[in-house]
Amino acid sequence: MLISVNSRNLMPDRDERVLLLKWIVALLVPVVAFTFVWSGEEIVNQVFLSIFSPDANSYDTLTIIQATIFIVLFYASVIALAGYAIAADSGRQSILGLWLDVLVFVLVPLLLIVWTSNLLIGLTLCAIVWPVYFYVRKLVRKALHYTPHPPPVPLKDLKVFDAQQQTALMRRAVVGGFWFATAFAVVSLIADIIFFLTGPFPTMLLIWVILRTILLPIVGYFLGHLGSAMALRRTLTAKTNGNGNGDGRNGTKKVSSRVSRRRQLQSLSSSRAQEESKDLVPNDLPLRSNGAQRFYLTILVAFVLFYPVLDPILFGPGTAGRLSGYGDAGYYIILALGLNIVVGFAGLLDLGYVAFFAIGAYAWGLIGSTQFTALTNIPVNPQIWPWLFWPMLAGAALIAVFWGVVLGVPTLRLRGDYLAIVTLGFGEIIPIFFLELDKYTNGTNGIPGVYSPAFPGIANWSSFTPVPYYYLILALIALLIFVNIRLRDSRLGRAWVAIREDEIAASSSGINLVNTKLFAFGAGAFFAGIAGAYHAAKLGVVSPDNFSPQDSTIYLAMVVIGGLGSIPGVIVGAFAVYALNLFVLAQLDAIASDPSNFLHGILQIFPSFTFGDIRNLIFGIILVIVMIFRPEGLIPSARRRRELHHAETETVEVGALDPLPGSGEFEAVVRVE
Amino acid sequence: MSINRVRLVDESGSVGLASDALLELNAVTKRFGGLTAVQDVNLVVRPQEIVSVIGPNGAGKTTVFNLITGIYRPTSGDIRLEGRSLVKLNPDKIVIRGITRTFQNIRLFNNMTVLENVLVGQHTQLKSGILGSLFRTPRVLHEEMKARQKAIELLAFFGPTLVERQQEYVVNLSYADRRRVEIARALAAKPKVLLLDEPTAGMNEAETLEAVKYVRRLRDELQLTILLIEHKLAVTMGISDRIAVLDYGCKIAEGLPEEVRRDERVIAAYLGKAAKTDQEVSG
Repeated sequence: MLISVNSRNLMPDRDERVLLLKWIVALLVPVVAFTFVWSGEEIVNQVFLSIFSPDANSYDTLTIIQATIFIVLFYASVIALAGYAIAADSGRQSILGLWLDVLVFVLVPLLLIVWTSNLLIGLTLCAIVWPVYFYVRKLVRKALHYTPHPPPVPLKDLKVFDAQQQTALMRRAVVGGFWFATAFAVVSLIADIIFFLTGPFPTMLLIWVILRTILLPIVGYFLGHLGSAMALRRTLTAKTNGNGNGDGRNGTKKVSSRVSRRRQLQSLSSSRAQEESKDLVPNDLPLRSNGAQRFYLTILVAFVLFYPVLDPILFGPGTAGRLSGYGDAGYYIILALGLNIVVGFAGLLDLGYVAFFAIGAYAWGLIGSTQFTALTNIPVNPQIWPWLFWPMLAGAALIAVFWGVVLGVPTLRLRGDYLAIVTLGFGEIIPIFFLELDKYTNGTNGIPGVYSPAFPGIANWSSFTPVPYYYLILALIALLIFVNIRLRDSRLGRAWVAIREDEIAASSSGINLVNTKLFAFGAGAFFAGIAGAYHAAKLGVVSPDNFSPQDSTIYLAMVVIGGLGSIPGVIVGAFAVYALNLFVLAQLDAIASDPSNFLHGILQIFPSFTFGDIRNLIFGIILVIVMIFRPEGLIPSARRRRELHHAETETVEVGALDPLPGSGEFEAVVRVE
Repeated sequence: MSINRVRLVDESGSVGLASDALLELNAVTKRFGGLTAVQDVNLVVRPQEIVSVIGPNGAGKTTVFNLITGIYRPTSGDIRLEGRSLVKLNPDKIVIRGITRTFQNIRLFNNMTVLENVLVGQHTQLKSGILGSLFRTPRVLHEEMKARQKAIELLAFFGPTLVERQQEYVVNLSYADRRRVEIARALAAKPKVLLLDEPTAGMNEAETLEAVKYVRRLRDELQLTILLIEHKLAVTMGISDRIAVLDYGCKIAEGLPEEVRRDERVIAAYLGKAAKTDQEVSG
């Protein structure tokens, strides 16, 4: 017998049509926006033209292949998502609520990116729009005395999810996939006919249009099956224990199946345990469920992977500059991931993280440049040892770890504020140390001519060709996310959280405080060392200007704004802070000098004004606002969210109920005899 | 109702010692600056005994616990477990030696689930290192699954409620349940001696009775040796094999519950204060 661990019911059959309408509109609007307002159709057309008239297209074969893979993955994921969402919806979220959510979280970013025709600026504006939306929503809810659904109690009530309901679920997903694809095909057909009648539209493409209109519903039918498979897997079916039914007691049965289910729990993660309820089907918020996240992840990975190819189609000329910028954002992500281990997991406040970054950069800068040959007469250059960068990437990280341990051994016995001060000092000393060591590091001039990495088949690694660096940083980030997740879910990760929660209790549970903290410090330094070596190689110069002690604060801001201890959080935080501080605010002057921009008006009124002067002020104000309205960060970990929202429900001080010596009750006990 | 019985200590570990003392405090003194919190305390705990430490507030009972578990270092004197000194060890090393504890004002990891709390308790029992965790080798996976099973068994010692609520954050639990989780966490490290600091504090009548039952079961079923601090005299008298009484940091009496109850100095230590209070009230 199959059992669904669920407290919610499948939506009644008669509401199925409403459900279909709800989801088709919700998903169709952003997809159509991407396809016709932005550049989705352009990619499709390029792909098609390259097949039927090879002379007409302006891209090479490799580009076309990559674009094809992306576009197929994108549409397939969306259609399957439609099937999944329709099957998984419990129907408790109102139609308007869903549409509003999609509008705010999908359509607004899309339109902002199209409007600014810049990914970073568009997303940064979203970071302003979203908190405002949250705030307004809170006010409106308060005014209307609206209380959202109570959060589902995870794994609380068991209900038999019989074969009939499973069939209903599957049918729903297939119907959803089919109708969504059909609706999309019809919309596309109408749009293309309008294009055909109004403007220059290659007649050749009409073949494609007809083909697509026929193909899409068929594809939708099969992708609906994929969605249903995803939904069915998340009904959390579990077999009841065959031996436990002798007594026939309901309670015992429930308990036994619950335990067996939990013993199967493969999710070793701690922070994910509470998230289980999001995983259940039927789900109150299917778009936020883990099933849907698989589809987002597919789209996101495809987008990031093929971005260098898509960029010119999506944003026009200037690809090299943008990619280089994302390469820089990448090492901030690595730094944030590393600092997240130290601050987010283990709760050690590190205000001098830049020191390890500098050590990593100088490690590769000193060995992988002409400087090394000049100092030691050992010839090291790309012609002799082209592969040297790769072992030195690990080498730089290990050197940083070494210094992390050297700093950590004497200082990690300190608690909280004291540790913060020591690390602050370390962050001040190291850059000055490298600055003053001018015999080896050329002091303020820095080390020029740091070698680039080499990789078979990729000839050109100069900073004018950012694509290899883009993929290098992607690979590093992927690797380090993996390391981060595995560490978090390990015995060590548990010990880190325990130490953050209560050092004395952790120590009394057998956790060696100093060693465990050292591991956290060392892991953080390892990440920073890798980021440093990458930075040195990409920039080609290692100079002390790149390692100002104030940068440590920026790194900390990335982690805190993103959400302490949350891996997706700190990635988003790093990207957001990079985009805001080092990209948008740094470019405000350039933007304002453009007469067509509204900021230009300010320059008209105050001619001597430059945004560079108040850049830190603006950044600071934004940080304060974010912390006031969202103290847990943009994407908080489940643990942290709970901590910040349940702090007020702390319990009564222990011992309050004890009879005190001297009190009447106590005497009564003593005088029994 | 069937509950998984867990055997935490193999018999050979706790019986058959040359000296019959398992835990031994020898003239232990602790001074904080000018204040002497504990003075020349001697105490012997034999295997599978339940020994209570009682005394008025501020008598130094919790300080004794902190000295045994390594949170404080004694100013002078010696503490031995199975004949080996514990004095210069850190708390985590003392856990490895076989002493775990609970706290008077429950110190659970509030933002971790019930199961995670018990898993942290198993820290010393698990062997997986960084590389093993990174590559998630079959050995590490197996160990982790075993640890989970073990944790569930430990929770089952206290009945089905905690097993059902294992995925909840401990702050959502009732007070008595939190006490139980804390004991389960302490048991997870496979201790020889369990130190319970006021295990019934803040509990109502029924819960206290329940607590008394499971403290006895800890000794009888798990062959544990238990040292406990307790305020409720009825509880102490009911479960202790022996009782030691502290007052102003000194041990003023020790013996069987019957003896202690009749001891002049004990009555004076408790009633003297009470009498004083009475005078103040009436005067």
